[in-house]
Amino acid sequence: MDVVGRKRYFLSLSLVLVIIGVVFVSIPPRLNLGIDFTSGTSFDLEFADDVATEDLRSALSAVGHDDAIIQKSGDGEFFIRTRDLGQSGIEEIQAEINTSISTEYRVPSVTSVGQSVADDTVRNAVIAVVVAALFVMLYVMYAFRSVPKSYRYAIAAIVALGHDVFIVLGLFSILGQVIDAEVNAIFIVGILTVIGYSVHDTIVIFDRIRENVSIAPNRPFSASVNISINESFARSLSTSITTALTIVALLLFGGETLRDFLIVLLSGVIIGTYSSMFLAAQILVAWEDRDYKKLKFWGRATAN
Amino acid sequence: MRRQLRGLIFLIILLSVSIVIVALPKIDIDVIGIDFERGDDENLLGLSLGLDLQGGTHLVYTAQTKDGEDPSIDDMDAVRTTIESRINQFGLSEPTVQLLGTPPDRVLIQIPGLTGASISAGFQGNAVTAANLEAYFRSDLGHPEATVAVVTDDDGIELLVVSIDQLQGDRIDAEGTVLEVAESEQIRTKLGDQFPAQLRVLYTGPVPTSTSTDLVTATSTAPVEEATVALIEAEVAGLGRTNFTVEELSERNFAITLPNPVEDGITEDGVLIEGEVTALRKAFAARFGDPLIFALTGQINQYTVGGGVQEAKQLIGQTAQLDFRERTCGPLLDPQDGSEWPPDGLTEFEWASERCSNPSYFSESSLPLTGANLVNAFAGTQPGIARPVVNIEFDGEGGDEFFEVTDRISRTNGLLAIYLDGSELVAPAAQAGISGGRAFIQGPDFTGERARTVAIQLKSGALPLELTLVQERNVDATLGEDTLRKSVIAGLIGLALVLFYMIVYYKASGLVAALALMLYAAITLAVFKIAPVTLTLSGIAALILTIGTAVDANILIAERTKEELRAGRTLFAAISEGFARAWPSIRDSNVATLITSVVLFWFGDRLGTSVMQGFALTLGIGTLVSMFTAFFASRVISRTLGSVTGPSRMKLWVPVGGVGADHDEPSQQAGD
Repeated sequence: MDVVGRKRYFLSLSLVLVIIGVVFVSIPPRLNLGIDFTSGTSFDLEFADDVATEDLRSALSAVGHDDAIIQKSGDGEFFIRTRDLGQSGIEEIQAEINTSISTEYRVPSVTSVGQSVADDTVRNAVIAVVVAALFVMLYVMYAFRSVPKSYRYAIAAIVALGHDVFIVLGLFSILGQVIDAEVNAIFIVGILTVIGYSVHDTIVIFDRIRENVSIAPNRPFSASVNISINESFARSLSTSITTALTIVALLLFGGETLRDFLIVLLSGVIIGTYSSMFLAAQILVAWEDRDYKKLKFWGRATAN
Repeated sequence: MRRQLRGLIFLIILLSVSIVIVALPKIDIDVIGIDFERGDDENLLGLSLGLDLQGGTHLVYTAQTKDGEDPSIDDMDAVRTTIESRINQFGLSEPTVQLLGTPPDRVLIQIPGLTGASISAGFQGNAVTAANLEAYFRSDLGHPEATVAVVTDDDGIELLVVSIDQLQGDRIDAEGTVLEVAESEQIRTKLGDQFPAQLRVLYTGPVPTSTSTDLVTATSTAPVEEATVALIEAEVAGLGRTNFTVEELSERNFAITLPNPVEDGITEDGVLIEGEVTALRKAFAARFGDPLIFALTGQINQYTVGGGVQEAKQLIGQTAQLDFRERTCGPLLDPQDGSEWPPDGLTEFEWASERCSNPSYFSESSLPLTGANLVNAFAGTQPGIARPVVNIEFDGEGGDEFFEVTDRISRTNGLLAIYLDGSELVAPAAQAGISGGRAFIQGPDFTGERARTVAIQLKSGALPLELTLVQERNVDATLGEDTLRKSVIAGLIGLALVLFYMIVYYKASGLVAALALMLYAAITLAVFKIAPVTLTLSGIAALILTIGTAVDANILIAERTKEELRAGRTLFAAISEGFARAWPSIRDSNVATLITSVVLFWFGDRLGTSVMQGFALTLGIGTLVSMFTAFFASRVISRTLGSVTGPSRMKLWVPVGGVGADHDEPSQQAGD
């Protein structure tokens, strides 16, 4: 299978996907921020008799509070955190409880509650990821010191990483409009997981390239890369299938609460596997072949 | 062969140990000097779980400035950060810390898992048995879950430790009025009533008269009457007490039961307040003369509430303001200035100890040295000091100041008094100036737990506000009770699918992978339990990722082994060569993941982002275990399996289909 020969298609596809991702993340409404990141309302509910948490959860969902955090604190007693309600929001919830749960209750206290994730968490995570990426680049340069121009491998790995992150962010921004998917603290963790998978997978592919380049130093670089991708194909497929199996099982049987998070992981695994072979490796070839001077894959307009 | 056998035995032992650790609900090892306790019998496999997966304690504090004013938003943010960091240093448990109110004036804190409490009580003369106490807690105090253990504390005193699920805190209404005092206080009173103290009084012979000298020693008034039950009752009642009994055990031998006798105490100004027993002794001596025996037994002389929530409340609620003051003691020698020396009629001997310890005789000046000058604080021990200490390290400025003050007091014979939240911890002298900015503080009540708490508080900085606990209750997990159960089932289904895929597609190599994966799972869970790692949703994300990489390592090995077989190697050579070729990619990809997890952990720690830190910790541990199982376990297992299946079954090692072998060179089919 001649993958490298079709690199212009792969590179173009990735570029388009990343641009879509960046566009969706940067134009409003961007990402739906969940209650972890916004201040909201917290209140207590005290029912005269015991009420199941699930019943209360469905009552709140019915008035659009799927993301409410409901904690039972005793028989018929609940502590609830929601998005900012205002007076009308509270009344709406009360009206719904009145109809769907036929138990007397009172609302002893309503108060505003600050965000549970500090403002600087996202900034901290971004800083941490950037620093981690720098260290990983240094390590890749060291690990690939036996092949010429090992810095290219480091940069290609990081480009693939950025590619994966932006596509997942863009996808989530779209999902935010379609299925009300929300960005919460756990979303950050999902992105961190995607980053971990992306780097891991890219390095495995690069390792194969390193081996094939050292076995036959005189073979054209693009041929070595193509052989490596073909040799790695079965492994990449198996690894992504097995990882995806775990996630799909959780998605199907793990309950509604983790859905958004698992979608991030699943899309990350698919995109991460794709980008290792069809982006990171292609960047190496394009760089080696000095495609950036020809920029042929842009089309004829900019040729030479 | 022999090396392989040894490897296999090692793996089996490792697997067994891991399974035992995971399977035991609670691990409790108490060998000389090492007290190791892990696991929580109520949780899944005894693992520590985060708030998203299990319930915990819900605490609400109101915040005020020290002058009783409303707090500023900046101060509230600082409180939030400090509390989060304190709880995290206590054990990375990803607590919820949120501000309540507009503008914020309350802090909501939820800590996972902490619901239990323990009360340790000591009865003078060990008058109460563990069985009696347990029965009382179970039947009368409404704690059917209570268990009582006998432990001996550092000073050799026998204590009864009661473990119970939960203690109610103060019930306080919105205005801050206490509706009901904390259960621990109520229990203390009830214990005193149920197991009252016994005062034994024994007189010998007839009442001594004022002329008789025997037995009369320090009484200023001559005894007037012979002791009888009625007279003793009158004396006790004279103290204002109604609940007591007096019994004459034999002639002139009385037993007085006194529930909750009031002990001697000292006010904040250092004034002695006489307790009931002291008052009785004086009254009896005046009326009946000095007894041969006057002994109080069975009173509660130790009562501490700890464990779980209580520990956390200790940690959260203290402002942890560290003060250093230079103390100038009263003059050691007569200043010869005509004033009275020693003052207040003290003997020279008494003066020697009073001049530096009684606030009316020394003076203190504040030093420009505070908790803000600390760069580190950690609990430890110091040679020659029995109790744990808190080691502290000053920054450059603080170190200079510390040198100056210790140098100064070494010449003036002064002391360096150290206060925590207004109460004196210790006031050491110095022989010479101490340079280097390292010191330690000790406190009269420092236990290992307390020293650790103080160290964490000092390290995370003082709270700018004073906090008052206004609400305490238990809450369920944030993800709902059944999420964990469902996720575990789903995870097991996922794992089963992975193993199925591996065995069907990779046959023998897949079986190796399946065995290695099970070992991986057992070791990882065992490490989580021992470390202990609090497992949250972010930890589970990291776990899924590391399971992915652990499978990947085995897939890489299986693919390489297959290629070597196709190249015509013998089975054993192919297995060895497959490993050798797969290892660089396993190593490099996992090291990159390790680097990522270390950086994320470090940043999470520095910036107080616990979500990131929990993820990084789980990822790091999982990756290390995954590398170990790939490098060691997979190799040993596949070699063993290789020698069992034998070269005639080579086909078992070649995957279905053989996708990926179809590149330029014609693939070489491995012969039977």
